[in-house]
Amino acid sequence: MNEQAIEEKVIEEKVALELNEDYCASCSICSSLCPFEALKKDEETGKTVLEIEKCQVCGLCYSTCPAKAFDIIYYDIDSLTRYLEKAKQEYDSNTLVIMCKGSAPDFSKVEELFGVTKYIPLSVPCVGRIPEEVFLKALTMGIRAINILACDDDFCRFDKGSPVTARKILALNLLLGQLGYGTGAINLKRNNLKVKIDKDRCIACGNCVFYCPYDAAKLESPGIVSFDLAECKGCGLCVAMCPALALELENWERERISTLISKLSSEMERPKILVFRCQWATFSPLDNGQSAPNIRIIDLPCAARVDPFHILEAFQKGVDGVLIAACSEDDCKQEKVSGKSEHLVAVLGERLSQIGLQERLHFCTVAPRYPERFNGELEQFSQEIVTICSKEGRE
Amino acid sequence: MIVTTPKPLDEVLDLIAPYSNILIVGCDGCTTPPRGLREAKTLSQLLELGGKLRNKEFAFEVTTTTKQCDVYLTASTLKPQMSRATAVLSLACGAGVQTIAGIFPEIPVFPAQNTHFIGTEEREGGTLEQRCAACGDCLLGETGGICPVTRCTKGLLNGPCGGSKEGKCEVDDEKDCAWNLIYERLEEQGKLVLLKVYRPARDYQKSGWRITT
Repeated sequence: MNEQAIEEKVIEEKVALELNEDYCASCSICSSLCPFEALKKDEETGKTVLEIEKCQVCGLCYSTCPAKAFDIIYYDIDSLTRYLEKAKQEYDSNTLVIMCKGSAPDFSKVEELFGVTKYIPLSVPCVGRIPEEVFLKALTMGIRAINILACDDDFCRFDKGSPVTARKILALNLLLGQLGYGTGAINLKRNNLKVKIDKDRCIACGNCVFYCPYDAAKLESPGIVSFDLAECKGCGLCVAMCPALALELENWERERISTLISKLSSEMERPKILVFRCQWATFSPLDNGQSAPNIRIIDLPCAARVDPFHILEAFQKGVDGVLIAACSEDDCKQEKVSGKSEHLVAVLGERLSQIGLQERLHFCTVAPRYPERFNGELEQFSQEIVTICSKEGRE
Repeated sequence: MIVTTPKPLDEVLDLIAPYSNILIVGCDGCTTPPRGLREAKTLSQLLELGGKLRNKEFAFEVTTTTKQCDVYLTASTLKPQMSRATAVLSLACGAGVQTIAGIFPEIPVFPAQNTHFIGTEEREGGTLEQRCAACGDCLLGETGGICPVTRCTKGLLNGPCGGSKEGKCEVDDEKDCAWNLIYERLEEQGKLVLLKVYRPARDYQKSGWRITT
């Protein structure tokens, strides 16, 4: 490929967010909100420019732009509306629970938090990305109660997502109150998913203290570990590094992931490919339907929660290939912990090579700003696994 | 702590090949990196996968011990599981392996680790280095807290030798010359006079083989 061709290829790559200059009123709301400085006002032309390389596709600009100048691939108004219409029938409910993936608990906790037993679930990467229009459409659709579960402000993976959500809901509730929907038509609650320690299992080795990027783990003498949960950001790195299996991450308990692996591997066709994916590394479009019958994806709160234990378990359950899709260190929503995860996977890969399984495990980095990259990686890995499996079949 | 590295899996598979019911025993003691329950579980998973490729089915049980080299604790921890095992795979240092072998002489015990040395851990750089040879005659008090027995390639008690070059050892130029380090440390502490002390050849009997508490 010559240079020009490479350049064209780069230019052609599909991006998740686009700014339509014709609509942009240069109001600067987006650039003042963007947590990643991906949107800036050009001093000379006065126009707002999008630097896609910095964009994490949190959707705050899309949900707040008064001129609707942004086109976004994930969770746009149309697909959210379509989902709500469909899900309202499917779940036969007029209660909606919108949760940020970063803090979405299991069913029983939702029930406990909001006092609802039947509801339409909507889990998105940051509630801040949902435009007001969608809430209003939901109400017009006949949805009576809207419950929102956002992360605490300092837990938000997109920095400003949770504060923006809170302000948005406040303003919307005022408006809805004036319209006669009562005060507090939209109910906002907060949640976080953090580490849990089983002190009986702890061997006070200090791994969690060393690896925690937030200084949440403390080793108190004599040899007692404790966690300052106010500091924990729920990345799960300590869980993957704990040699005594004394730690768990709420809602991502080992057992729960194991059950999911069993379930998915039993329903897959061969060659079975299981993906452990950081939930911030690629977003699923809401209405993309089923994935291929031989591929299943487990979204995790961070690549750091990818546990060698689960990778091996997948192989034990008959999975032919395991792909780890993480953010790059620079894109990591935590303190560059995806690099630690890559190292863990490499160490495991070395041991797998001793039994001839090294080609079955692959680590890649992707980003939601390039929505086709994940599929590209998956396709390439799938082909490799197909080749390996067919070779084995011949032998 | 005692520094170990995992044995290559094919070597372990060869060791356990004649047996089916295998108890993998971790050690939460000083083995470093920690070889506790997680490592025991991981090893069982890897060996199961490796076994399958060799058409061999194993039944693994995994457990861990507080200090595998403690006869009393290890005996009481393992007794209930031992009845089901035809072989044991130990994740401890050589002392741990022999402790189990001593308690249960009828069951073959295999090491899953190679034991290297008593060392110190630099977590930031991810390195472990030897620091103590358990010589039984500690002279760290005279050498500025730097052990020439382990850190001088030649184990000299009176150094440096003529092979100290720009602070590095002539045998391995990546390795600091221990006696150069000792000199610098003692100089810093104003105790260079200690270098004038002549030390006779080591009495290897002092290392000993048994101590009564």
